[in-house]
Amino acid sequence: MLIKHYLALFFLLFISTPIFAQNKFTLSGTIRDAGTGETLIGATVRITGASTAATLTNNYGYFALTQPEGTYTVSVSYTGYAPIVKTINLTKDTKLNEELKSAIDLAEVTVNANNRKNENVKSAQMGLERIDMKSLNSIPVLLGEKDILKTIQLLPGVKSGGEGNTGFYVRGGAADQNLIILDEAVVYNSSHLLGFFSTFNADAIKDVSLYKGGMPAQYGGRLSSVLDVKMDDGNNKEFKFQGGIGLIASRVKAEGPIVKDRGSFMVSFRRTYIDLFLRSSPDSTVNGSTLNFYDINAKANYKINDKNTIYISGYFGKDNIGVKDLFENNWGNVTTTIRLNHIFSDRLFSNTSLIYNNYNYTVRLLNDATNFKATSLVRDFNFKEDFQYFSNKHTLRFGINATQHRISPIDIDSDEASQVNSLTQERRYGIESAAYISDEWAVNEHLNFLYGVRLAAFSLMGPGNFSTYDADGNTLSTENVAKGKFHKNYFNLEPRFSVSYLFNDENSIKASYNRNTQNVHILTNATSSSPTDQYVLSSTNIKPEIADQVALGYFKNIQDNNYELSGEIYYKWLQNQIDYKNAAELLANSNVESELLYGVGRAYGMELFFKKKFGKLNGWVGYTLSRTERKFTELNDGKYFPARQDRTHDISLVGIYNMTKRWTFSSSFIYSTGNAVTYPAGKYTIGGQAAYYYTQRNAGRMPYNMRWDVSATLEGKPGKKYQSSWNFGIYNLLARKNPYAIEFITDPDHPGKTAAQQTSLFGLIPSITWNFKF
Amino acid sequence: MKKLIIYFLLFTFCFTGCKKIIQIETENADPQLVIEGIINDQLIDQQIKISKTIGYTEANVFPKISGANVTVTDNKGNTYVFKEGTTPGTYINKMKGVPGVTYNLTVTAEGQTYTASSKMPNAVKMDSIGVIKNFFFGRERKTAAVFLKDPINETNFYHFNLYVNDILSERFYVNNDRLTNGNDLRIQLFFKPPTTDHDSDELNSNDKIKIEMECIDSNIFDYWYALSQQSNRGPNQGTTPANPTSNISNHALGYFSANTYQMLSATVK
Repeated sequence: MLIKHYLALFFLLFISTPIFAQNKFTLSGTIRDAGTGETLIGATVRITGASTAATLTNNYGYFALTQPEGTYTVSVSYTGYAPIVKTINLTKDTKLNEELKSAIDLAEVTVNANNRKNENVKSAQMGLERIDMKSLNSIPVLLGEKDILKTIQLLPGVKSGGEGNTGFYVRGGAADQNLIILDEAVVYNSSHLLGFFSTFNADAIKDVSLYKGGMPAQYGGRLSSVLDVKMDDGNNKEFKFQGGIGLIASRVKAEGPIVKDRGSFMVSFRRTYIDLFLRSSPDSTVNGSTLNFYDINAKANYKINDKNTIYISGYFGKDNIGVKDLFENNWGNVTTTIRLNHIFSDRLFSNTSLIYNNYNYTVRLLNDATNFKATSLVRDFNFKEDFQYFSNKHTLRFGINATQHRISPIDIDSDEASQVNSLTQERRYGIESAAYISDEWAVNEHLNFLYGVRLAAFSLMGPGNFSTYDADGNTLSTENVAKGKFHKNYFNLEPRFSVSYLFNDENSIKASYNRNTQNVHILTNATSSSPTDQYVLSSTNIKPEIADQVALGYFKNIQDNNYELSGEIYYKWLQNQIDYKNAAELLANSNVESELLYGVGRAYGMELFFKKKFGKLNGWVGYTLSRTERKFTELNDGKYFPARQDRTHDISLVGIYNMTKRWTFSSSFIYSTGNAVTYPAGKYTIGGQAAYYYTQRNAGRMPYNMRWDVSATLEGKPGKKYQSSWNFGIYNLLARKNPYAIEFITDPDHPGKTAAQQTSLFGLIPSITWNFKF
Repeated sequence: MKKLIIYFLLFTFCFTGCKKIIQIETENADPQLVIEGIINDQLIDQQIKISKTIGYTEANVFPKISGANVTVTDNKGNTYVFKEGTTPGTYINKMKGVPGVTYNLTVTAEGQTYTASSKMPNAVKMDSIGVIKNFFFGRERKTAAVFLKDPINETNFYHFNLYVNDILSERFYVNNDRLTNGNDLRIQLFFKPPTTDHDSDELNSNDKIKIEMECIDSNIFDYWYALSQQSNRGPNQGTTPANPTSNISNHALGYFSANTYQMLSATVK
C-alpha cells in the first residue's frame, strides 16, 4: 500500500511541473582538465541572468542547463582549478565545452573556496563522501602505499575491520553489504594481502564516491553502502609517465593520446615484492615461499564524434601466497567494462555498458597424502542502460540493468593417491534485473528533492538440485530444476527519497529514506573474513536481505565555505540477516543452506564531521556514536546482541600541513571502542581440557584501538619537466599494541587461574617511497 | 590458510613482544551442571563424570557432584546402574558397549533430571601411527599421524586424543569423511602442550606418543567440531565462541557418547 502511494506521489510531483515552457534553450557541454583532457566529474556550472540555475557535470563530465532566452553569466568551477567566467547570449541551444586549468599548472593563481562552493549544503544528496584524490596522496598509510579504502575508513560512519581483517563496515552493515564498483564492474574482494592493501591502485583512480545512505536509484544490490570508483581516462594531450618505488611495492603508469583531443589510454601496474626478501634466505623452504600481489588497470577512450564516445576499461589483480612443498593459494578479481556514451539531444544523455567481472581463488595442497587443488569462481555478465534527462528544474535519471551470476562454490581436483576425493559442487545461476527512475528536482532556492524508485527482481535459475530444510537441518524436499528454468523469483520495490531545505547558502537540513535489497551473500562463520569466503545467491531458504534507512542531517558552512560542519543521525532496520549454527560446515558442503540461521538487525548512530577545506593547514575531525545489533531466535536466548563491528565511539583526526611549496606534513589519528566479542563467564573441563562457558553473545569488548600515523612529503624542485617526490612515513608512531586476537591461557603468574593473552600484528613501522612523474 | 599468512606477517613485522596479558571485563556466571559420559567397547569401568562450572576468574578447582542417580539403558532391554566410586563425582559400572546399540543416559542430580542417548558406531581400526616431517618456514617439524582405512559404505566420525610423554595435547582432534570417504587416510595431529612455551610443541627423538581413537556418532562429532573451530577459544580466531550443542537435555553442559576405543603408542625416532 505504501509503495502504491509513493508511486502516485512520484508521478504527481513530476507531472505537476511543466517541463516544456516557451523560449527556453539548452546550454550543454563537457568540462575537462586543460592539462590532461580528463573529464571533470562533479564540476559546477552556474548561470546567472534572467534566472539563476546551477548543475554539476555527470560521470562523463557532461552537463546541460535549460533556461529562458536571455543573456547570462556562466561560471564553471571545480576544486583545485581556476574557475572560468563567461558571458553567453542564450538565443538558441548552445554548446559550452570548457577546459579548466589545474592549480598545479598555474604557479601563482590562488585557487580558493569559490569552487563548488557550498555544494555539500545545497544538494539534496546526503550520506555522500567524495574523496579528494589530491589529499589522498598525503594521508599517511601502512608502508607508504596510498590507499582509498584506508582513507574512507577515516570518515565518520565507516569502520575498518581492524588490522588483519578484510573489509569495512558502513553504518552498522556487514562487510559483504558494500557495493564496490570499479568503472561499474562489481569488485567482490576489494583487498590484497588480507586487507592490508586495497585492490585499487590510487595512481589509476580518478574519482571515488561513497554513499552511506540516501543511495540514488541507479545503484542497487547491496544493503549498506555504494563505493563508486572510477578509473582515470588517460591524458589526451601528451604522453606522461609516472611511478613510485616503495619498501614493499612499486608502481608505474603510462598514459597518452590515441588521437590528440579525441582519445586516450592509461595503463598502470603495481607489484609487491615482500617475497624478494624471502628469496635471500639461504633456507630452501623459505626462499621457495611466495607472498606477493600485483594489479593492472587499463583504460582507453575514443570520441567517435560529438555525440558518441566509447570507453573500454579493465582491471586484473592477483594475490599469491605459498610455502614450498606445502601449499599455494591465489585469488583475484578480473573486470572488463565497455561503455558507449551517446548524446541523443542536448538534454538526453545515455550510457550503455557491457560488463564482465569475476572473482576466483585457488588453493592447492602439495602435501603428498592430501594433494588436491580447489577452485572457486563468482562470475557476472552485466548489461546497463542509463539515461539522464536534463530539464529546467529536473534532472531525470532512468534505466535498466540485468546481471547474470554464476557461482561455482568449489571444485576439488585430486589424484588417485590423495586422501581427498574429487568433487564438483553444483554451480548456481541467478539473474538480477532492475529498472529505476529518479528525479533531482530543484523546486526553488530553498527546496531540493532527489527521489526515485528501483524495482529489483531476482531469479534463481536451473540447472540444479534445490533443497529445503527443517530447523534441525534435515532435508525436507529436493527439486530438480532444468537448465534455463526459474526456480525461485523475488521482486522488491526500493523507494529512495532525499530532501534538502536551505535556510540560506550556508545552512541546510536534509532528510532521506531508502530501501536496499541484496541477493548475493557471503557465508563466513569465522570472526574475520578471508579470501576463501563463500558466495551464495538468494534461494528458497535464503531470503533477500532488506535494509530500510532513515537519516536526518544538518549541514553548515562557515567563513565562505572554508569550514564545513555536518551532523547526521540515522536508523536502519535489517531483515533476513544470516548467522550460523554451532559446528556449521560451510566449505564444500552442498547442503550449506541447512547450516544457516536467519534473523533481523538494527543500527543507529550519530555522525559529526568538521572539515577545514583550504589553507596551509587543512584536514578533518570525524566522530561517530553508534550501535549495531542483531537478533536471532536461536542465539543469545532470542535477544538482541551487538554485532561484532559494533563500536560505541569512533574518532578520526586528519591533518595536512603544507609548510612550504616543497614540504607537506600529515598526520592521522584514530581511536575506536574495541570490537564486541564473546568472553567466557565460566569454565569447566571436557575431554581433559579447559573449556569455557558462555552466557551473553558479544557482551564483552576487545581493548580499544588507537593509532597515530604521520608522514612527510618532499616535492622535487618545481617547474621542471621531470618531477619527483619523497614520502617518509611512520605507521603507529605510538607503537601501541592494538588487539588482533585474544586467547585464554593458564595464567603464567597464578597457576590454576586463567589469563587473557592478546596478540597484536604491528608495532611501529617506518616507510619510504620515491615517486616520479614526467 | 589465513593463519599461515598471519604467522608470516608476525614473523615479518612483529619483531618482539606482540603478545601480552590483558585484563578483560566479564561476569562470573552461576555454576552450571556438566556431565561427561562415555560408554566404549572395552570391558572396563565405564565412567560418567558430573561436575559444575566455576567463574572465569576463579582458580581451577571444579566442584564434583556427589549423590546423583545415574542409569544407562540400552535398546536391548539392559539397565546399568552407575555407582559413585572412590573418586567423588565419577560414577562407574564395569560393562562393555556394543557397536550398533543405542545407549540412553538418565542422571538425576540436585533435583533435576537429565537424559541423553547415543548410538555406538561400528569400529574402524587405526592401522598404525607414526611421525611425519613437515618443513615450515625453514623449520623441520615432526608431527604425529594416524593411518587408517575409511570404510566406503558408511559415514564415519572420528575423535582422537594425543599424548606426548603422557601429556595430553590441548587441542580437539576431530574428523569426518565428508570429503575423504573410502580412502586411506593419514591424519596429522599437531601437538599443543598445555603451556604457552613455543619450543615445546616440537616432537623430539625418544618422545613417547600415544594416540587414542574413538569412532563417534554425528552429534558427538558436532560437539567436538564446534570446540575445535573455536580455536584457542578466544575472540577473533575461529568462529564466534558459543557453548557447543550438547546431546544432553535440560541445559546441561557436556556430552554423552557411546563410542569405540583403540589406543596405539610409538616412540619418535
